Amino acid sequence: MRIVCSALAATALTLAGFAAQAQETVKIGILQSFSGITSLGGQQADGAVKLFMKKYGDTAGGKKIELIRRDTTGPNPEVAKRLVQEVVTRERVNLLIGPDYTPNTLAAAPILMEAKVPSFVTGAATTGIIGEKSKYSTRTFFAVPQLCRPLASYAVKNGWKRVYVAVADFAPGHDCEKYFLEALKEANGELAGNVRIPVSNPEFSGYMQRMRDAKADAVFIFMPIGELSIGILRAINDSGLKSTGIKIMGTGDITDETYIDAVGDAAIGTITTGIYSTQHNSPLNKEFVKEWAELNGKQRIGWGALAVYDSMRLTYDALNAQGAGKFDADKFISFVHGRTFESPRGPVTIDKNNGDIIQNIYIRRVDKVDGVLQNVEIESFSNVGFK
Amino acid sequence: MSAVLTVLFNGIAYGFLLFIMSVGLSVTLGMMNFVNLAQASFSMFGGYVMVMAMQWFGVPFLLTLPLVFLVIGVLSVVMERLVFRHFYNTDDLTQVLLTIGLVFMSIATATYFWGGTYQRIDMPPWLIGQREIFGLTLETYRIFLIVIGLAMALALILGLERTRFGAMVRACVDNRRVAGACGLNTGLIFALTFAVGGGLAGLGGALSANLLGLDPNFPLRYLVYLLIIVSVGGMGTISGTLIAGIALGVADVMGKYYFPQFGGFVIYVLTVLCMLWRPQGLMGRKA
Repeated sequence: MRIVCSALAATALTLAGFAAQAQETVKIGILQSFSGITSLGGQQADGAVKLFMKKYGDTAGGKKIELIRRDTTGPNPEVAKRLVQEVVTRERVNLLIGPDYTPNTLAAAPILMEAKVPSFVTGAATTGIIGEKSKYSTRTFFAVPQLCRPLASYAVKNGWKRVYVAVADFAPGHDCEKYFLEALKEANGELAGNVRIPVSNPEFSGYMQRMRDAKADAVFIFMPIGELSIGILRAINDSGLKSTGIKIMGTGDITDETYIDAVGDAAIGTITTGIYSTQHNSPLNKEFVKEWAELNGKQRIGWGALAVYDSMRLTYDALNAQGAGKFDADKFISFVHGRTFESPRGPVTIDKNNGDIIQNIYIRRVDKVDGVLQNVEIESFSNVGFK
Repeated sequence: MSAVLTVLFNGIAYGFLLFIMSVGLSVTLGMMNFVNLAQASFSMFGGYVMVMAMQWFGVPFLLTLPLVFLVIGVLSVVMERLVFRHFYNTDDLTQVLLTIGLVFMSIATATYFWGGTYQRIDMPPWLIGQREIFGLTLETYRIFLIVIGLAMALALILGLERTRFGAMVRACVDNRRVAGACGLNTGLIFALTFAVGGGLAGLGGALSANLLGLDPNFPLRYLVYLLIIVSVGGMGTISGTLIAGIALGVADVMGKYYFPQFGGFVIYVLTVLCMLWRPQGLMGRKA
């Protein structure tokens, strides 16, 4: 009898424990790419979450934060969809950071909309995927036009009127080409020529000769993160095009901190637009960079890490504002959308109407700072939104 | 005029790069009749051996090349003894499935040891920049590639197609049982040929890493090019591989210069046409 009693008591206690826990826990699904060739994104996300929780603790608004980590394995919509379904229906996550990449974001949107689960878009830059598809989405990354437009007026202002445009031959490349050409026309610049480079392309010399023949003042480049960016910058240097004095411009992908060392000195002088540089001069960023290095060692900070870090910031702020009681997705979204806050990258606002991001876009030049290649900010455009 | 000549030179240099990358596969696939897609992984490991030797031990670039050949040659013999030799008599599909599996494993291995990011590759100063030759400004590294590629082609054509050892390899491939009955140690000959093929693949990786970048995804990204060159050139001929490399290299660069809107296409169109015209490859013997 005594045994039965204590067993019952124990069960009751456990149940009570569960109930209490269920009330006071907020589950965040972290859907990023943790394995294979895209695992760098996952490492950056892990680094950001770890740093944020070390600094601000593991409770917000009196609720304990619980992380549910899942591996999207890269731009893989089938996998992303299955994982979203799993964490939403079985793990009952309250919100998501991710999934990463545009195809993954699109695959997740209908489920999140139906289940009313807020999500942060931390790795997809395509236009039109925020707002219409899911009103529970918030983008903390950037949108392609934010980066593609500013360099047109900057080039013309500096007297580099004739611009050669080279983009990668895939959807975001075509997008970026369109936005840049529009902006170049508005700024009264002149198109010296343009070319679309195949996404699988180990050889650039034919394109280099064309750029040389076009006698442009500057070349504008949009390439996806990876070997194409490294390849084209090295080709411009090796072919001697760079020493003709042509200015090299592009979106920040081509000089991303996570592989700029592989480009090497060929990158020096390249002018890019970016949302964040570790060189950003603000007390908040200096602290962020210092703490990141203490925790994550030599790994450099990419934009994805910033997007995840700011998503955590918004989450904690929203939970604190909600206080006790059950997690409310609609309250969460109405707090986050329209919010302005200071991020290590500078001031950031989440658009009240569609949840997309409004932020400063910086013009940076690659230079060696204490022997390390860095994107040094030289000018900034304030509060650039998505047009 | 100088633009045309420069483009032509760049095309030839690219052709030599394609040759250097694919000659290892040409040896194992063409001469030994073994479909080893993992040659591309040997190339990647060759690149990593070069990078490590240079960064960690300060070995000069030129010295890393024989080192890479040796290390990857030994690695491929080990793999041959452990895995590949059991599959010499299986059909092509089994070999493809086996070796593509090994490619995926090699990608995971490289990510584990060196991380997912791109390696920093610093060439010695004398290989950087451009040189003036006959009034043309040519890239130094491309000149270097042509010189090395010519040397490799010559050594291989003389060594594998014209020597007793080469004849022994061909005898073993044509009919292993008869070759064995004639007193040839077929196991040893296959292992040695495999080592040469692997070593060459490693060398290809080390020489191309500077232009192509080096990360764990290297094998999958460039495997298609290796297969194109070897099949266009024809199985089992080094000279065919060289001719195919140069022809496609020149066509690719010329195509990108004159018709940039179709530029990326040219290499594939030519491959299809060539395969329709001569299914056995440019220099291949009729099957």
